[in-house]
Amino acid sequence: MNQPVHADESTTDPRVTYVDRAPVRVADDRANAMTVLTDDEGVQAPVKVDVRNLNFFYGDTRALKGISLAVAEKRVTALIGPSGCGKSTLIRIFNRIYAIYPKQRAEGEILLDGQNVLAPGYSINRLRTRVGMVFQKPVPFPMSIYDNVAYAIRHYERLSRIQMDERVEVALRSSALWDEVKDKLNRSALGLSGGQQQRLCIARAVALKPEVLLLDEPTSALDPISTAKIEQLIDDLKAQYSVLIVTHNMQQAARVSDFTGFMFLGELVEFGRTKDIFTKPVKKQTEDYITGRFG
Amino acid sequence: MSIVNVPGVSPQLTTDNDMRWRFRQARDLLAKVLAVAATAFGLFWLAWILWTTLSNGLPALKWSLFTQMTPPPGSDGGLLNAFAGSALMSGLAILLGAPIGILAGTFLSEYARHSRLGEVVRFVNDILLSAPSIIIGLFIYELIVRPMGHFSAMAGGVALSFIVLPVVVRTTDEMLQLVPGNMREAALALGIPQWKVVRQILYRAARSGITTGVLLALARISGETAPLLFTALNNQYWTAQLNQPMANVPVVIFQYAMSPYDFWHALAWAGAFVVTMFVLLLSILARGAFFKGVSS
Amino acid sequence: MYHPTVERYRAPAVAVTTDSRERNDQRNDRLFRLAVLGCALFVLVALLGAASSMLWGAREAFSTFGWHFVVSTDWDAVQRKFGALVPIYGTLATAAIAMMIAVPVSFGIAVFLTEIAPVWARGPVSTAVELLAGIPSIIYGMWGLFVFVPFMAAHVDPWLDTHAGALPLVGPLFRGPPIGLGMLTAGIVLGIMVIPFIASVMREVFTTVPIQLKESAYAVGNTTWEVVWDVVLPYTRSAVVGGVFLGLGRALGETMAVTFVLGNAHLLTASLLQPGNSIAATIANEFTEADSSVYLSSLIALGFLLFVVTFVVLAIARLMLRRLARQGGVAA
Repeated sequence: MNQPVHADESTTDPRVTYVDRAPVRVADDRANAMTVLTDDEGVQAPVKVDVRNLNFFYGDTRALKGISLAVAEKRVTALIGPSGCGKSTLIRIFNRIYAIYPKQRAEGEILLDGQNVLAPGYSINRLRTRVGMVFQKPVPFPMSIYDNVAYAIRHYERLSRIQMDERVEVALRSSALWDEVKDKLNRSALGLSGGQQQRLCIARAVALKPEVLLLDEPTSALDPISTAKIEQLIDDLKAQYSVLIVTHNMQQAARVSDFTGFMFLGELVEFGRTKDIFTKPVKKQTEDYITGRFG
Repeated sequence: MSIVNVPGVSPQLTTDNDMRWRFRQARDLLAKVLAVAATAFGLFWLAWILWTTLSNGLPALKWSLFTQMTPPPGSDGGLLNAFAGSALMSGLAILLGAPIGILAGTFLSEYARHSRLGEVVRFVNDILLSAPSIIIGLFIYELIVRPMGHFSAMAGGVALSFIVLPVVVRTTDEMLQLVPGNMREAALALGIPQWKVVRQILYRAARSGITTGVLLALARISGETAPLLFTALNNQYWTAQLNQPMANVPVVIFQYAMSPYDFWHALAWAGAFVVTMFVLLLSILARGAFFKGVSS
Repeated sequence: MYHPTVERYRAPAVAVTTDSRERNDQRNDRLFRLAVLGCALFVLVALLGAASSMLWGAREAFSTFGWHFVVSTDWDAVQRKFGALVPIYGTLATAAIAMMIAVPVSFGIAVFLTEIAPVWARGPVSTAVELLAGIPSIIYGMWGLFVFVPFMAAHVDPWLDTHAGALPLVGPLFRGPPIGLGMLTAGIVLGIMVIPFIASVMREVFTTVPIQLKESAYAVGNTTWEVVWDVVLPYTRSAVVGGVFLGLGRALGETMAVTFVLGNAHLLTASLLQPGNSIAATIANEFTEADSSVYLSSLIALGFLLFVVTFVVLAIARLMLRRLARQGGVAA
């Protein structure tokens, strides 16, 4: 089944109304149709995921209102906002995990390398190998540590024992868990501590070699030491992955991210370089939230 | 007595309150005594029935029970063919009922948790769960025995499988619903298709609970008599043929207990003792499996 | 500073190919879905099949006797005349006796287990009560026949005959020969059998009462009994009724225990000390002896009547139980 996913060039309608994210300079490189974000150091980062006029509904309730947002390649983008603002709802659209529940519906576009992943023809399988996700609560599968990592790989690839061992080791190393578990790979993953379980979940996600990593409040169930480890890990991960993290912890967003979006009542109020958002926010609501006046 | 004579309050009122308070205390005490008595009443019968089974069954328990066939009228023997028949038919029932039950329970929990169809199936299953088992016997008589023209072990096994089915459906549904939703999301987020998620992750996570359901179903059919009366009937001899009538412990107990011979009464008690112990053991095992699963 | 700009976006027309693994996944997903759906529908088919096969088997009896079948006391295998009134009466009478015993006792057990018993005793006692539910009904039947019937014959029946039998109005119920077998004995055995079922449902629903509700009632000085009667019972009323109906469904359809102790006599008498018959016991006793097709059909017709009655009773039970589950869901 060959199906062009997104080929309606004939539309004269401007597909998307973009809010200029001053102070971030947004350029449009029309040659390869790619938007570019400029980060703190002035280095241009290509856009990996481009969200355009996204609306989301729980039944008849509209939970997200016209969200437009760009996730830069190999950078960390954070979404902050008071609870109930829609940030978790938003991140759950990127890999279409919302679609397992009836009555949840997304409208608009999420372009991953220029292709709309919300289009019905876009393969869920392909999407979920390209976009990995880590959840709020660590949920190891009821199997061994090794199998937790190898499980999803087995679904996609036929590897020899040696190749598989290598892949598992690489995944566990890149989630900074290898040294702690290398002697007990065959033990049940349920015996690990909470922080270890969460890193195992990260290993499980990166084992599929995704391009984008979604982290939905990954440290909210963890102690400070485990949190610090995960934050360090996120910093390492951005060498390879485009990371989108939802957090209710502003300090965490400030520490780990390059870009930050502030959401409130289902809308993306402001988006920009993290430094700018935290030092000179443009919108009054953002400033109030950053300074702790509400939320 | 915590009644204080407050100045200004008429003595009449105080006495009323006092009376009222005493009455409430007395009523409460009576209720508590009755509740304790009710519990003692319930446990009394349990003890009496178990004691009867034990005191009649143990002396009748002989090695020949497991080595000899059911005897002709008036002579002694064992229950070997009945035990074998029960084992065979129970096995058949589990083999037929458990997979269908697990899959139907999976549908309820994973595909129809809040749907109208799920509600209807759950409702009907709950009714099957407590429907009189003799009705299942009549159903299978019409479905299998009458068309075949004779009683058979297969009909017995199928009849029992309809008793296994709702038990397994119910427990599978409940146990799968206990698996945290996060686990499904985490697996689906890796791009694993749902059928694999269910089979390789959810079944594994709910394994002990589902096993409990199957064990409970086995316990339930081990003593079931009514559905076998006109499906498997009975057979005095050894047979392993599924299309023949086959001996089974409950029907043998029934027939021997109703008979006028003491030998047969003793055999019936021995069979009753074995069945009761087996059922109680299974119930305890099932609880063990469940609690082990919950704690891990 | 902050101004919207409009940009055109030209998406590259990259085709997404669906590879064979994904096609496999989708096909397997569909197959698995079909399989579980089929099994779920099988549950519906089972019930419908049971109903329709019995109706089919009963057609000869219904067409021969018509409505007369339900109100006739005939049961004559030689003249091939059959009526269901005696077994229907026996079924209802024994179930009524059973409920009179089981409902108050179960309520007492449930109150004991949720409000009175020390915490350490609750687990073992409720386990013991549930074991009572696990004992196969044929064991109840044997115990009834060999132990309880002689006990009734020796101690209870004669006493009832001389004392209660002389009473006005209810006297006829208790007049009869001291043979032990009969409605009263069967009703008592049935009552003992359904106690654990009703008690465990009641215990379970009592524990769903929010603790705050009970604590606030205790806090204003209510006694345990008042909390149970004024707070717990109103909160769980529908589910308690559901539990009672669940027990009733069991009592109506129970076969083996009743077959042993009821006496298998087609007699319509007011006396509870006389042997009688119930629907289930009649079927169990006579099915393999039925020597004519109308006889067999009449037995199946009895089964169909039993099915209809228990279906209605159990449906009411489930609806009542579900009402509390919904309410609990809202409260939680």
